[in-house]
Amino acid sequence: MSHWVVDGLETDLDRFHLGPVDLDIAPGRAVAVLGPSGAGKTTLLRTLAGFLPAERGRILRDGAEITDWLPEERALGYVPQGLGLFPHRTVARNIRYPLEVRDRPDADARTRELLDRFHLTPLADRYPSRLSGGEQQRVAIARALAAEPELIVWDEPWQALDVQARYELGLVFHQLRATERVPIVIVTHDPALAFSVADSFVVLRGGRVCGQYDAGELLRRPADPFVARFVGFDNVYDRAALEAAPRSNLRAWLLERSGPEGIAFSAPAPSSASDGASAWSGTVRSARPGPLGLTVEVAADDLLVTLRLPPPWSPPLPTFGESVPFGIEPLSLHPLGAPPRNGPVDP
Amino acid sequence: MGRDDPRLSRGSNPSPPTAPHRRWRTGPYWLALQIALSGSLLLLFVLPILALFTFAPLGQIFNEYANAQVREALWLTFFASGMAVLAAVIFGIPLGYLLARRSFPGRTVIESLVALPVVVPHLLVGLGLFLLLLPGSLLYHWTQALGIPVYDTIWGVVLVMVFVSAPYTVLASELSFRAVDGRVIEASRSLGAGAGTAFLTVSLPLALRGIVAGLLLSWARAVSEIGGLLVLALVVYPGGIYDGPVTSTISVYIYDLFGTGDLKGAAAVSSLFLLIAFALFLLVRVGERSGWLPWRRGDLSP
Repeated sequence: MSHWVVDGLETDLDRFHLGPVDLDIAPGRAVAVLGPSGAGKTTLLRTLAGFLPAERGRILRDGAEITDWLPEERALGYVPQGLGLFPHRTVARNIRYPLEVRDRPDADARTRELLDRFHLTPLADRYPSRLSGGEQQRVAIARALAAEPELIVWDEPWQALDVQARYELGLVFHQLRATERVPIVIVTHDPALAFSVADSFVVLRGGRVCGQYDAGELLRRPADPFVARFVGFDNVYDRAALEAAPRSNLRAWLLERSGPEGIAFSAPAPSSASDGASAWSGTVRSARPGPLGLTVEVAADDLLVTLRLPPPWSPPLPTFGESVPFGIEPLSLHPLGAPPRNGPVDP
Repeated sequence: MGRDDPRLSRGSNPSPPTAPHRRWRTGPYWLALQIALSGSLLLLFVLPILALFTFAPLGQIFNEYANAQVREALWLTFFASGMAVLAAVIFGIPLGYLLARRSFPGRTVIESLVALPVVVPHLLVGLGLFLLLLPGSLLYHWTQALGIPVYDTIWGVVLVMVFVSAPYTVLASELSFRAVDGRVIEASRSLGAGAGTAFLTVSLPLALRGIVAGLLLSWARAVSEIGGLLVLALVVYPGGIYDGPVTSTISVYIYDLFGTGDLKGAAAVSSLFLLIAFALFLLVRVGERSGWLPWRRGDLSP
């Protein structure tokens, strides 16, 4: 399997500029490209797949430059948003397509093998419109794998899938990672699901790469407020917001501990402060129960702070305007934008 | 909760109050309005046809088919319109694809040009082609040298028919190709298909139904053409690919009968032509429905 390197890739699409993007995708690795809508995720993938010309930079496959190769020459398994299944071909003939266009003599045998492997044999003669979302995903990945690609590039795999189908797709990915050494690039705006599949993360924002991290690094040391919000920190404050007047006690306390970009921390529990934690109180703005516990939003010193009481908790819910004490552990604070080596939080 | 639960019984549920406006929207008045409006238009289609059929005795309609002149005119009409449809396939579908898939300066102008033959009076088309190919002009010499003279030949008939009918194929192809999801095409390219293969295996099969509908319209338009032919190719002399007797297309032939006062003859030939055209359209529709014409399935490859 190939080792892919993207080196300073830049692309212009209408008025959008992507790059420079650097990526390193080793055999057997899965890279998730994260970012909000309009960050350039799909543009990056379409450039990788050869549908948009690279203005600058290089794409290397095992050291050989393929930047200007045609899409069909790149040996990519590209799955576009919406999967791009052929509506006029049955499941079996969708999977057979890449083998057909390459005149592969083993087309029938390989199709049967993939149908079997992805539990699609009973659906072989159905058209894609007659399949559930999860089944369509399995067809798409079987088709992408059919001609043994050197890289799988998948745009928004979880789009419009229900919970069961997401779970099943997760299983398919795990199986894929276990049995194939093909590297994978996945684009998603859903970090929670990306964490379950990828082992490295590229964060894009406004066409620029904010960084490439592994999962632990991404959670431990988010580069900026955007990344921190993205990976799911409940409380994220830009430095500029903390510096704004009036300088309340909580603001001043957080500012003191903040990095150049700001500060983030997970939701503390609404309770009296334990040893070492600073004690604050806030008035309840909203409270909603969920599988992770009771999430309570309080206004403390004109900052909104999210608290979470893990289950089991018993009703009643805190009422609007009620005063709730909480503590913030100094060790739970993540300064944002701090240089990694000097970062105060490094467990 | 079972079926016998008294809370579910009809008696304990008061029927919901009926809103008068709701009854009107879903009720018989709405349906009656739809039937009245659609029926009026259908009546307009059917009545003139009935008039044709009732004006000429039924026997004469079938006798006309025995008339060699009528048969020759029918043959010429279907042959020339078939050639026009072939030209629409060869030149019209690529133009439709170009307009659907590429953006280039002047595209709007080209789109308007394509629509132009649909809106101009067709006598004008004949006149324009006549002036273009006037003896002495460069094109006249070229067409003569190539052995495809256009005045009163089958080539002239085909030329006029292509002019008036091809836009339907171009417009239908453009719309159909535009409706094909670009991501499906990208998927096929990435799976190893070159641009040509992707066109033949994905774009064309998916757009085929719309294109065929356009081709049918083109054919219908070509068959019914008369205005341009009156100027450029009123009668057709043997020559080129046509070696039959001197004749004309069926519409010109009917016009001729009408002009000489033979109303019964005109009605009989018209009825005969209508029967054939209707049978052909019906055959195509039934073929589509039953699935033995391939474009219903959107797939031509085995």
